[in-house]
Amino acid sequence: MSRAASNVVSPDAMLVSAIRSGDEQAMVQLYERYSSIVYSVALRVLGETGAAEDILQEVFMQLWRSADVFDAARGSLPGWLAVITRNRAIDSLRKRRPEADITDVIVSIEPDFVGAAESSRALEKIRGTLGSMPPPQRAALEMAFFDGLTHTEIAEKTGEPLGTIKTRIRAGLLTLRKAFNP
Amino acid sequence: MSVHEQFADDLSLYALGALQGEERLSVEKHLKNCPDCRHELVQLQGDLALLAFSASGPRPPARSRERLIAAIAREPRRTAVRLMERKRWWIALQWAAAAATVTVILLLLRQNTDLRQHVASLDANSTGQREQLLQAKELIATLTSADAVHFTLVAAKTPPQPQGKAIYLRSTGTLVFLASNLPELPPQKTYELWLIPTSGAPIPAGLFRPDTHGSATVIKPPLPTGVEAKTFAITVEPESGSAAPTSTPIMVGIEG
Repeated sequence: MSRAASNVVSPDAMLVSAIRSGDEQAMVQLYERYSSIVYSVALRVLGETGAAEDILQEVFMQLWRSADVFDAARGSLPGWLAVITRNRAIDSLRKRRPEADITDVIVSIEPDFVGAAESSRALEKIRGTLGSMPPPQRAALEMAFFDGLTHTEIAEKTGEPLGTIKTRIRAGLLTLRKAFNP
Repeated sequence: MSVHEQFADDLSLYALGALQGEERLSVEKHLKNCPDCRHELVQLQGDLALLAFSASGPRPPARSRERLIAAIAREPRRTAVRLMERKRWWIALQWAAAAATVTVILLLLRQNTDLRQHVASLDANSTGQREQLLQAKELIATLTSADAVHFTLVAAKTPPQPQGKAIYLRSTGTLVFLASNLPELPPQKTYELWLIPTSGAPIPAGLFRPDTHGSATVIKPPLPTGVEAKTFAITVEPESGSAAPTSTPIMVGIEG
């Protein structure tokens, strides 16, 4: 996503601003735009449609109740939603109270997911990058992110040294970044 | 940027929420005093978002949308604007946005300046006034929406030229700027809009990058009030912008 100056008002920022003033129609528009991303991430983590729907509801209700927590300084709205959804879903998976404060999450990201064409191209690129990673690296990354396993748990599960797992996770993330910032 | 090597791997784990106890405290303590590592953490959150997007595909069932709307309607909210049957109005607006040219919309916007000033001063508790404010918001949202289709009408057989329209209200320092057909920027560059006063140095009036269609908007950038504008100009500047123009303007305004 182009990181233009903060005084440029994006459609997302305008929707969030309208939500802050209680505009339900704006909330519906935001839902139409990003519910699929939120639901997909929750479903991937939890593997069960009912639980994913609960997280979807929770994330959008949180945005409705406290839209102030998101502003342009938090970076990309779809990126921010995707990360807080993953964090909420992992908390739910582990049956623990929400750990991370959503105000701590600031997301710097390149792809623009607003337009369908951009979204499709970016998605293709992300999947292509993941597909070209060495399988153990991709597995470590996905276990850490989608399964919420710690590096220690991944090391125990795979029988690999702890340091190797840490390095694979970081290297995998940097590979994804590089795909959008060559 | 130099991320401290001893924290490089741990920052990724911290972003994933995988660190506990001493390890977590140690990273948090370091982050407080290290802007480079804070910047890297933001980048890592972006990397995680990319990973999250890889799961994209499934759409939630329709009942989820209804559930959300029902829950919102139940929420006590002092300033809530109830969801109304605005479909007919909304469809008409979309049709108008697609059919009208940017020029016509801008003309309309100017003709409605008095109305918008009035809207800005409305009492938020008045139902009728709130309706007008919503309409103004929708108009601005339409003008700036990435989904809106823009047409620029030019003389037949003339290719579309880069165009910018700045609408400036000196008394409040309010500026609305819309541009179309702008050429793509080189990497690490941005467009910068300048208010050229009748006397004194150019005043920065916002950075912007055009979207894939060459359109861009700058709405209400921070400007001092009461400055008389001789004109507006656009330069290409480094990505973080400049305090004074560093290149020859590529576009300069004429009043009218």
